[in-house]
This record gives sequence, C-alpha cells and structure tokens, in this order.
Amino acid sequence: MKKRVILFFALLLSLVTGMTAVTSTTAHAATDNSLTKVEKKGTLVMGTSPDYPPYEFQATVHGKSQVVGMDVAVGKKIAKDLGVKLVVKSMSFDSLLVALQTGKVDMVISGMNPTPARKKSVDFSHTYYQGGYSIVINKNDKGIYKDKDSFVGKTIGAQTGSTMYNESKKQTSGTTVKGMTSVSDLILALQSHKIQGVAMEKPSAQAYVANNKELAAIPSNFDLSASDTSASVAFAKGSTALVTKANKSVDQIKKQNLVNKTYLPEAGKYLKTNTVNTSMWHYWKAFLTGIKYTLIITVCSVFFGFILGVILALARMGGGGVLRTGLRWLATAYVEFIRGTPMMVQVMFVYFGLGLIVNLPALTSGIIAISLNSGAYVAEYIRGGINSVDSGQTEAARSLGMSGGATMRYVVLPQALKNIWPSLGNEFITLIKDSSIVSIIGVSELIFQSNIVRSDTYRGVAPIAVIMVLYFILTFTASRILNYFERRMQHD
Amino acid sequence: MTKPIIEVKNLAKSFGKNDVLKDITEQVNPGQVIVVIGPSGGGKSTFLRCLNLLETPTSGEVDFDGQNLTTLDTKKVNELREEMGMVFQGFNLFPNMTVLENIKLAPMKVKHLDDAAATKLAHELLTQVNLDDHADAFPSSLSGGQAQRVAIARALAMNPKVMLFDEPTSALDPEMVGEVLSVMQELANQGMTMVVVTHEMGFAKSVADKVWFMADGYIQENNTPEEFFSNPQTDRAKDFLSKILM
Ligand SMILES: Nc1ncnc2c1ncn2[C@@H]1O[C@H](COP(=O)(O)OP(=O)(O)OP(=O)(O)O)[C@@H](O)[C@H]1O
Ligand SMILES: [Mg+2]
Repeated sequence: MKKRVILFFALLLSLVTGMTAVTSTTAHAATDNSLTKVEKKGTLVMGTSPDYPPYEFQATVHGKSQVVGMDVAVGKKIAKDLGVKLVVKSMSFDSLLVALQTGKVDMVISGMNPTPARKKSVDFSHTYYQGGYSIVINKNDKGIYKDKDSFVGKTIGAQTGSTMYNESKKQTSGTTVKGMTSVSDLILALQSHKIQGVAMEKPSAQAYVANNKELAAIPSNFDLSASDTSASVAFAKGSTALVTKANKSVDQIKKQNLVNKTYLPEAGKYLKTNTVNTSMWHYWKAFLTGIKYTLIITVCSVFFGFILGVILALARMGGGGVLRTGLRWLATAYVEFIRGTPMMVQVMFVYFGLGLIVNLPALTSGIIAISLNSGAYVAEYIRGGINSVDSGQTEAARSLGMSGGATMRYVVLPQALKNIWPSLGNEFITLIKDSSIVSIIGVSELIFQSNIVRSDTYRGVAPIAVIMVLYFILTFTASRILNYFERRMQHD
Repeated sequence: MTKPIIEVKNLAKSFGKNDVLKDITEQVNPGQVIVVIGPSGGGKSTFLRCLNLLETPTSGEVDFDGQNLTTLDTKKVNELREEMGMVFQGFNLFPNMTVLENIKLAPMKVKHLDDAAATKLAHELLTQVNLDDHADAFPSSLSGGQAQRVAIARALAMNPKVMLFDEPTSALDPEMVGEVLSVMQELANQGMTMVVVTHEMGFAKSVADKVWFMADGYIQENNTPEEFFSNPQTDRAKDFLSKILM
C-alpha cells in the first residue's frame, strides 16, 4: 500500500496537531459527534489521491472527468449504507491525513494501509482489501527476471517512501532501489531502460500491463506482514461511531467479496475506455481548465498581493510614534518571515492551518496563500520605488498644502509605480509559474491537470511537454502585454 | 502700524551637532519683498524651509498671520502651508503630469475645486506666466525657464498670501534667468509678499524692500538694498560682497 511520509508533511502534521492538541483532540475524544455530523449535513466527504489505478484514478465518463476506481466504489457503499451522498475530494497523497485531521474530509480511502505509525494519529476501519506486490518489467526482459532476487546489479524503482520502496531496499541485496514520486514517472523510466523493474501493488501492476502491450508483470515474492499489504478506510481520531458504522459496510464488502467480484472489474472497464484515446487533443478541456485556474490564481494573487504590498511598504516606512513603530516592526517581521519560508509550506499552512478556524475551499486558500506571499515581495519593490522618488517631489506637494497621505497617493506612489513597473511585471510572470504550487492542495491548475492527464493516459512525457508550451505561451503573452504598457507609460 | 504677516522669534535649527540656525528674530510685513543673501551653507534654505515648517525648528517660534506654527497640529499646518507658496531651485514639477495637471492637482485635491474651475484657474495662471500654449506639455519637454514659470504658477494656484523662493534662477542657463525674474518682479508689483533667497544682486537692488544678509546661523544685517550694497556694516558682509561683485 502507499505509505509515503515526506518530511514537510510530517512537520506540518506535527505543527497542526500541536496547535490543536488542546482543542480538537480532546474535543473529539470527549464527545463523538462524528456520525451525527455526517448525517446532519447529508454528505460524506472522501479524500483520495487519484493517481493510482485501479484503486483510484481520473476517467472521462460521459465527457466529464471524474474520479473512479475500487476505492470510490467502497466509499459509495459506505455512504449508501449511511443514507448520505458521497463527495470525492482529490488531493495529493501527502495531504490526505492532514485533511482528515483538520476536518477537510470525513474519511480517507486511498489504498492506505493501517500501519502502527498511522494508527497513532487516525482511526482505521477493518481491512477492505488484501493485496500483494508484483514487479512490472519490459516484456522483452521476461526471460531474464523472475522475482525480486533477479535484479542483482540492476535497478528497481518504487514510489518514494512507499512500503515497496522500503521493502525493496531491505529485502534485496546488490540491487539499487530508485525512488520516484509518481508511478507514471517510474513506468517511463522503465520504458526508457533507466530502471529494469518497478515494484507496485498487484492490481496496479495488472492495470498497467493491461494497458500497455510493452509491459509484463512478475511476482515479487516479498516477505510481508498483513498490515503492509492491506487497505483500510481512515477516519479522524475518536470518531468511533462513524468507524463502527463503516465497519458494517466493510465487513459486507469482504463477506460478499465485492472488491474482486464487482469493484475491480468495474474499475478495469474505466481503464479500458480511458485509454482508447491518449492523444493530447483529446484532453484539451482538461488543459483549458488548468489554464483557467492558473490565470484565476495569478490574477487574483497579483491584485491582492499588490494591495497588501502597498500597505506593508507604507507600514515599513512609517516614522515615529509608538503605534507607527510597532506597525513598522510588525511589517518588517512579516516580510522577513514570508521571504524566509517556502511558498509550498505557506500554501499548506493556509489550507490546513487556517482551515481549523474557517473552512476555506482549496482555491480560496491557494489565492490567499499566494497573495500573502506575493505581498511580501511586492512590498519590497514598492518600498524601493518610493525611495527612488526624489524628495523634492514630496516637498513640492507638502508646500502646496497637501497632506502626507494625499502626497503619497497622488504624487509619490504614481511615480514609484512607474519606476517599479518592470519588477511588478516580473512578479506577475513569476506567479504564473509559481502558482503551480497550489496543485498540492488539489486546485485544478495546469500542473494538477497535467498529472491527471498523465495518470489517465499512461503517457509520461507528452502532458509535460504540453504544459511547458502552455506555460511559455502564457508568460510570453503576459510579458508582451506588460512591455506594451511599459512603453506607453514611458512617453512622459 | 501694520501687523507683520511673518514673525520669527529666536528661531534655531540644528542637524545633530550642526547648529545651522542659531538665533534669528525678524519679521516680514504684508506686501514686503525680502531678499535673503549670504554665503553657501549659511542656512538660507534651512531658514526658508522653517518658515513653512518643511523643516521643524529646534527651538523658537514662527508666527504666520498671528498664529504660532510650531504649536499647531499637522492638519492646521497643512492648511497654513496653502497660504505660503514655495518655489524651489530644482522646480520639482511632477514629471508624470502635464503642465496643466501639475497646476490643477492641489486646488482639486486640497481645495476640492471641481475640474472645470481648476482648469479655468490653471489656464489663467499659465497666461499670467506666458505659457498657456504649453498647457498639455510634460515637464520633461520644457526649458528650465519655462519649468520654473510653471512652478510659480503652480504655487500661485493655491492663492497664497506669501511666496517663498529658494534660489529660483540658480539652476537656469543665463539666457533664461530674465524671464523668471520678470515674472517675479510682476508679482512683486502686484503687491505679493515675497521672501526670496537669491544670488541675483540686480533683482535685490531693484525689487527688494529689505535685504537680509545671512551667515553663520544669524541674520547679520537687515537693511534697504541701497544701504546694504553701498555701506555694508559687518566684515562678513563686506567680504561676501567683494567676492560676489568681482
Ligand atoms: N536635512 C539636513 N540634514 C542634515 N544637515 C543639513 C540638512 N539640510 C541642510 N543641512 C546642513 O545645514 C547647513 C546649511 O544648509 P542650507 O542648505 O540651509 O544652506 P544654504 O545657505 O541654503 O546654502 P546654499 O547656498 O548652498 O543653498 C549645511 O551645512 C547643510 O549641510
Ligand atoms: Mg540653499
């Protein structure tokens, strides 16, 4: 099962749990309203990372892209038994547990195995599926490799931080283990002979082999405990009532062997329809959505970041007085802090951290985080711009009786902005590119969409090439437009 | 006796350890033209800037129209600055606005004149300084003499009671000095109260009511131009004049 533990995820998790240790954990434990809450709102929100066929993946159903797979079928069954509607929320695998703890989702079904480490922070249902591992190889090599022990002097690939990654390292000798984040990348590496095999779960292996004639699967023969190969539904810690209900559904699924009899074959069907047309033209709608969100995020963030930047710059330039000094100190601290921390962490902090207080949609969180980030940088440009305006301008305005505020607004700022227009333009272009970071919280911008297309089509490079061109078109157009305005402003 | 419009009492100003103005007590009556002369670095600009509080005096007071400026709050000071137009050596026109917009800005934003009234006023003032045909030009396209005349018109737009000039012709090519001085002379003829820092001795002789000689942080002499130029009292002034008139 997938068991990725990436460093900042762990950090953020400890931060968030630390922050809420007093409030939420005790509150959950004291009064378990998990079930009534779900029943009251009439929806059960399932978090999943749809890049893992046949567990969960994106498919085009009736012309619309949606998340399908056996995990979604499990989720549907649980929701149906509860008498509520299932809502599927996509995000990166690393974000799932935080989303659960911060109440963004009611449960996580994402091929997740109930390891002891995870059991410390979340509650698990009974196991709904017992899997195993295979190794995917190039069909031409079929005679050479038999199982995990045949790769001496060769390289096996696995998802970074996953169980198969760790086990491949432990249970082979003389074999190099190469970790990559996504399975599509691993398959690509396999086909370009950078690695000789990819360790993954049996159903996933079957899906890949069924969809790619060049590939074949061999048994792995890893020695594994049951908890490392089983999949369970995760719930927030202390939601016993909800877990008990879900266990009834899970037990039925097991008893009637629904996964193997119904869910997997169904998922397989989607995989087939999915790969009928892997041309990039077929996915123009997905890319268009990506462009739309990338632009929405960039334009909104530039707008709000600019306003914030002006406020910060003015606060930083404030003179005497306790209040003004305090504000200046705060603004300076803010700018330094934002510039000294990665935007990715800021995005996650706004989505999950602020999410504890107000439930913000991913898109809003992304715009807020990037605006907050951009504001700190814009503030410095504006401060430089204001300083570059000759002090004689201020004196002339003040000598005419204009107040400090009016002088700033009508005389200094317009000139400062003209001076820093090129820097602001660069910031805009940078944001077009950097907005891609919000893909980690599941906003459907270009990178996110390209990942979906990649797992949809099993094509590793083409979607990347497409978005590369798209990004270039966006930034190039933007810089042409900005240059045009720059020239127009230069006439005086 | 007429009440003075500006009264300076024991004015002192220091920048750190640099005591630029030491102890100045003088007054300006309505309609008077005062020319302030003196060696470079003697504190003339600082003195002028203390009059409209662009510079905050270290001690002493500046009374304008009977009100002690140094005790007023910011808002009141802003209001009183409207009554004292200032013209700078370097013009300080707003480069991102046309000539007309330069003049209209303060009347519209401070006095809340509507656009039509401000435009009308601006054209009148531009006609007065002989530049109405440049109303739509940007400052960068003007000659120094033209720019300074626009700056004078801009200051006049607030209808001030007093005009302060800080070396208005020092940055100009010689052939343009005359056009600016004649605009100033005309203002003086109309009865404007003026305090002018300048090195133009001809202007001082023909237009000034009083010449203040400033050096080492004090007004060393305060006399009519005739007296001052023909019969300077202090060695400091004699020395200064001998250098200038050479
Ligand atoms: N803002 C300031 N901070 C520190 N020192 C200043 C400041 N403004 C003026 N000074 C100093 O005060 C002194 C007087 O300067 P000021 O400009 O008033 O002289 P000035 O008589 O106008 O000279 P000039 O003929 O060169 O214009 C100089 O020594 C100058 O360095
Ligand atoms: Mg000076």
